Amino acid sequence: MTSRWKFRDHEAEGRMFNRRVNLVLFFVFLMLATLVAKLVDLQVMQYEYFAARSDGNRLHVQYVPPERGVIYDRAGTLIADNTPVYNLTIVPEEVDDLEATLGYLAGFVSLEADDIETFEDQLRRSRVPYSSVPLRYVLTEEEKYRVAVNGHRLPGVRMEPQLMRHYPFADLTAHAVGYVSHINQQELDALDETEFENYGGTTHIGKTGVERTYEHLLHGQVGYETVEKNNRGRVTRVLERTEAIRGRDIVLHLDYQLQRAAEEALGDYRGAVVAIEPASGGILAMVSKPGFDPNLFVTGISNRDYGALVTDEINTPLFDRSTNPYPPGSTIKPVLGLAGLHFGHIDYQFTIMDPGWFRLPGVSYRWNNWTMRTAIGGGHGETDLRKAIYQSSDTFFYQLGHTMGIDQIHDFMSLFGFGDNLALDINYARTGVLPSRDWKMETRGEPWYPGDTINSSIGQGYMWATPLQLATAAAVIANEGRMVRPRMLKSVAGELWDFPEQHSVPDVLLEDPDYWRYMRDAMTMVVHRPYSNVFRDYGTAYEYTARADPDMNYLLAGKTGTAQVVGIDQSIRSSEDIRVSDLNKDHALFIAFAPAAHPVIAPQIALAVFVENGESGSAVAGPVAKRISDAWLLDILDLDLDVEPAVESSEAGRVGE
Amino acid sequence: MNSRTYGQAAAPQGRWAGRSPNVDIGLLLIVGLLSIFGLAALYSASDGDSVLIQRQAAITGLGVVAMLVVAQLDLRLVQRFAPHIYLGGLALLALVLAFGVEANGARSWLDLPGLPSFQPSELMKFVVPGMLAAYLASQPLPPRFPRILVAGLLVLLPAGLIVLQNDLGTAMLVAMAGFFVLLLAGMSLRLIAFGGLLALLASPVWFLFYAQEHQKNRIRSFVDPYNDPAGAGYNIIQSQIAIGSGGVTGKGFGEGDQSRLDFIPESHTDFIFAVIAEEFGLAGALVLLGLFVLLLWRGLRIAVNAGDMFARLLAGGIVLIVFFNVYVNMAMVIGLLPVIGLPLPLISRGGTAIIAFFIGFGLLMSIEADSRKGSARNR
Repeated sequence: MTSRWKFRDHEAEGRMFNRRVNLVLFFVFLMLATLVAKLVDLQVMQYEYFAARSDGNRLHVQYVPPERGVIYDRAGTLIADNTPVYNLTIVPEEVDDLEATLGYLAGFVSLEADDIETFEDQLRRSRVPYSSVPLRYVLTEEEKYRVAVNGHRLPGVRMEPQLMRHYPFADLTAHAVGYVSHINQQELDALDETEFENYGGTTHIGKTGVERTYEHLLHGQVGYETVEKNNRGRVTRVLERTEAIRGRDIVLHLDYQLQRAAEEALGDYRGAVVAIEPASGGILAMVSKPGFDPNLFVTGISNRDYGALVTDEINTPLFDRSTNPYPPGSTIKPVLGLAGLHFGHIDYQFTIMDPGWFRLPGVSYRWNNWTMRTAIGGGHGETDLRKAIYQSSDTFFYQLGHTMGIDQIHDFMSLFGFGDNLALDINYARTGVLPSRDWKMETRGEPWYPGDTINSSIGQGYMWATPLQLATAAAVIANEGRMVRPRMLKSVAGELWDFPEQHSVPDVLLEDPDYWRYMRDAMTMVVHRPYSNVFRDYGTAYEYTARADPDMNYLLAGKTGTAQVVGIDQSIRSSEDIRVSDLNKDHALFIAFAPAAHPVIAPQIALAVFVENGESGSAVAGPVAKRISDAWLLDILDLDLDVEPAVESSEAGRVGE
Repeated sequence: MNSRTYGQAAAPQGRWAGRSPNVDIGLLLIVGLLSIFGLAALYSASDGDSVLIQRQAAITGLGVVAMLVVAQLDLRLVQRFAPHIYLGGLALLALVLAFGVEANGARSWLDLPGLPSFQPSELMKFVVPGMLAAYLASQPLPPRFPRILVAGLLVLLPAGLIVLQNDLGTAMLVAMAGFFVLLLAGMSLRLIAFGGLLALLASPVWFLFYAQEHQKNRIRSFVDPYNDPAGAGYNIIQSQIAIGSGGVTGKGFGEGDQSRLDFIPESHTDFIFAVIAEEFGLAGALVLLGLFVLLLWRGLRIAVNAGDMFARLLAGGIVLIVFFNVYVNMAMVIGLLPVIGLPLPLISRGGTAIIAFFIGFGLLMSIEADSRKGSARNR
C-alpha cells in the first residue's frame, strides 16, 4: 500500500514465521510429553495407590450398636426397657451463626445453662468434621413439633432418633436395678481389646445395680456397616451390613408389685427392705428409700439435679441402704440363741433371773437392758431362751454371749453370711463387720476385751450388718439351715440361670435339727404371743402386728431390733435429759419369714426391714414387715393359707403359755 | 501482484470460493466434539443438573453462532479496526474497575444495564493478539527493539488492569497471548531468554514481598500438598486421587466416586479435567488431549497458510493462547503447576469465556477464508 511495504521481504518473513512455528511446536511437544507422562504416572503407575485412596475417602466402616437387652421382673413386667427418643443435635459446620441459632432455638426448646455448657464443651473437643453434636436430649412432643415446623430456618439443626434406656418405675427400682449412663474414659480404659471393639458404637454402659452386674448379658454384640460418605460426611448409601446382635433380655427374681408394696410400707421413713424367696434365694424386693430417678442419669444428669441429690445429707437418695451396714441390734438374737443351743451352753430348760442389767465379774460397769429404759424398771424375771427372744431380753444374751465368747459367736454367725457377701450377683454389697479377735487387732490394734463381747451379743458395738445379710439369715432360719445365696437374676431366655457357685457355701448343720423348730416357734411368738396376766410375757411385736390384725390367717416369725445410732455413748443415750434429735433416734429393724409353721406351705418370704431413725423395731419396723409379708402371701401369691390355720395358731399360742 | 483489495470478494473461482459462507469444516468438527465432550463432563460433574446443562448448551449454541458470524467478517476490517477494538476493550476494563462485580474473589464482572453480565477480561485474550498482530505487521519483521517496547506496553496495559481485578490467571493469559504474537513475529530469542532470566530472578522477590497469602499457599501446596492436606493442599490431593483412581479405562460415565461425592473441588470449572480423567480414565484424557492437539494442528495450519503477516500472527496468537490455556489447566489439575484459577477451554462451565473462544475460532475461520481468497488471487 505505502512505499514502505515495497521494502518488505515477505518471503523472508514467511520463512521466519515458519521457523518460529517449528520452535513453538518443539515446546508444544515437550509440554504434551510432560502431561502424558504425568497422566501415565498417576493413572497407570500409581493406580493402585490412588484407587485405595479414593475408596478410603468414601468408604467408611462404622459400628452398628446393639440394642440393649431389657429387664423383666419375675411376673414379666418391664422394669428397664428402651424407648425411642428424639435428641436435638447441631452440625456446627452447617450453621452460619451459632449464637443466633441457639438464641432462636431457646425460643421454643427448653435449653438450660447446663445443656449449653455441655454442648460447648463438646464443641471444643476434637471431633469428626460434619458430625453432629448433641444439644438437648429427649425432646417433648411439643418441642419436636416446633423444631420440625421451623426446620427451614435452622440449617444444621437436626432431630436424631435414639433408643434410650427407660426405667418406667423410676425411683422405685433405682438402687436394685441401677442405671446406665454415658461411658467415661475410665470405663473405656478398663475394657480389654475385644470388649473395646464391641463397645465401638455404644454410648451407654451399666453403672450400678443389675445394669452393671449383667452388663455382659445386656449389652449384645456390635455390628458393622460399610457406608459411602460424601465429602461432608453424609452417608449416601449403605454397601454392606453385619447386623448387631441384640443384648439378652433378662428376668429378675424381683417382683415389681412387692417392691412397690415394700416402698409404700416404709411410708415417710427412710430405710431399706430386702425380701428373699427362701426356696431359691431369689431377691423378691430390694428397696432403699428414698430413691432417685435413674432416668436422669441416662440422658446425662444436670449439675443442678445432681447437686440436689448429693447435697441432701439427711435423705442421701444416692446411698443404697439395702446393701450398706448398720448395727443390727436384737435381730441377731435368734442366730445367737441357736449358737447357744448348738454349742451346748444352754438348753430348752435353761433359765436366768433377769434383773434388767448385767455386770461382768469384777467389773463395776452395768450393761442395762436398755430397750426398757422408759419402762417401769426391773427385768423379765425368770427367762428362758424362748422368752429371751419374744421379750428380747438383753440380759440373757449378755450372759450367753459372755459364756460363749467372741470366737464361737464369730464362727457361728459367719455360717449365716455375716461379715461376708454371700450374694451371687450383688458384688457391690458391703460385708459389714463380724468382729473377732483378729479383726480388732488388725483394724484397731487392740486386743479383744470381754466387754466387747457383751456389746456384740445384742448386735451393737463392732457388729455391723446389711439388710441384705439380715434377710439372708432370716432365709436360712426359714429353711432350717439350708443355705441359699441371694441372687437377683432369675432366668435368661426362659431358662433358669445357673450360678455355678450357688452351692459353694455349706448349709448350717445344728447338733439337733429340732433347734430350728424351737427358734421358729420363739420367733413366731414375737409376733403372735398375746398379752396375758403374766408380767412381760407377750411378743414384742404383738401389739402392732397380730393384735392390730385380728384376721391374720398365717403365722409370721420375726424378731424386732432397735439399734442405737452409733456415736452416742450408751450412758448419754440412756439419759433422760438429752433431747435427742430425729437423726439421733434409734434405728428400727425387723427380720421375719412367713408363713411360719404352716402344715403344707413352706416359708415363701424371708425379709429384713430397716427403718432409719425409726426408733422402735416393734412399733415401726414390725408393721412394715407384716404389710410386706401380707402383700406377698395374700395379694400377690394369693395363697390359700386357711388349711387348719386356727389349730396352728392356737398351738403356737399354747406353746408360749 | 501483492496489491490488495479490501472488502470486495474476488471473482468466484474453485469449489470454495464465491459467496459460499466462510466455514472451516475441520475446525467446526473439532470444536463441536470438544463441546459435546464438555457438556458430558459437566453433566456428570454437576450430578445431572439439567438447568446448568441447558444453560451451558445454550451458551455453546450462542458461541457457535458468534463463531459463524465472526467467520464471515472481512479480515481487513478486523485489521483496520483492531486499535478501536483494543481501546474499547481497555475502556471496558476501566469500567470493570469502576463498577465491576465480584465473584469468587475476582472483581471481573461487568453488569451493564440491558446486557447479561460478562467478563471483559476474557475477551482481551483475543483482542490483545489482534492489536499486537496489527501493530507489528504494519512494519517489516522481525520487530526492532523500540517497537517491541511499544508492543510490551500494549500488552502490559490490559494485563495490569486485569491484575487490578485480582484475576491473575487471566492477566497471565493475556500477557502470554501478547508474548506469543511477539515470539511468532520474530522477536530476538536472546531478548526472550534475557526476559525469562529476569523473570526467574524476580520471582523470589515477588514471592517474598508481593505475593498474597493465598498465592503463597498455592505455591507451597504445589511443592508439598501434604503439608496442609485439609487446607491449601486439599484441592490438588483430591484431584490427583480422582485422576489416579480413574486408571486406564476410568470408572465409567457418572460413576466417578470422587466427583459424585463432591471430593473434587471446583468440579464444574477449574478441576473438570479431574472428573473426565476419573470417569474416562487415561484413555478419555488422551482422547480429550488429542482433540486439543488436533485443534492446535488445524490452527497452526491456518496460520502457516495465511496470506499475510497480520493473519499469520493473529491465527498463531489465537491458537497458541488456546493451547497454552489448555496446558496450564491440565498441568495444574494433575499437579505439574501450582493452582492457578484457569478453566479448561470449551469444557469448563462458563459464559463469556466460551463465547470468547468461539469468537477466536471464528477469527481463525475468517483468516482461513481470507487465505483461500489470497491464494486464489495469487494464482
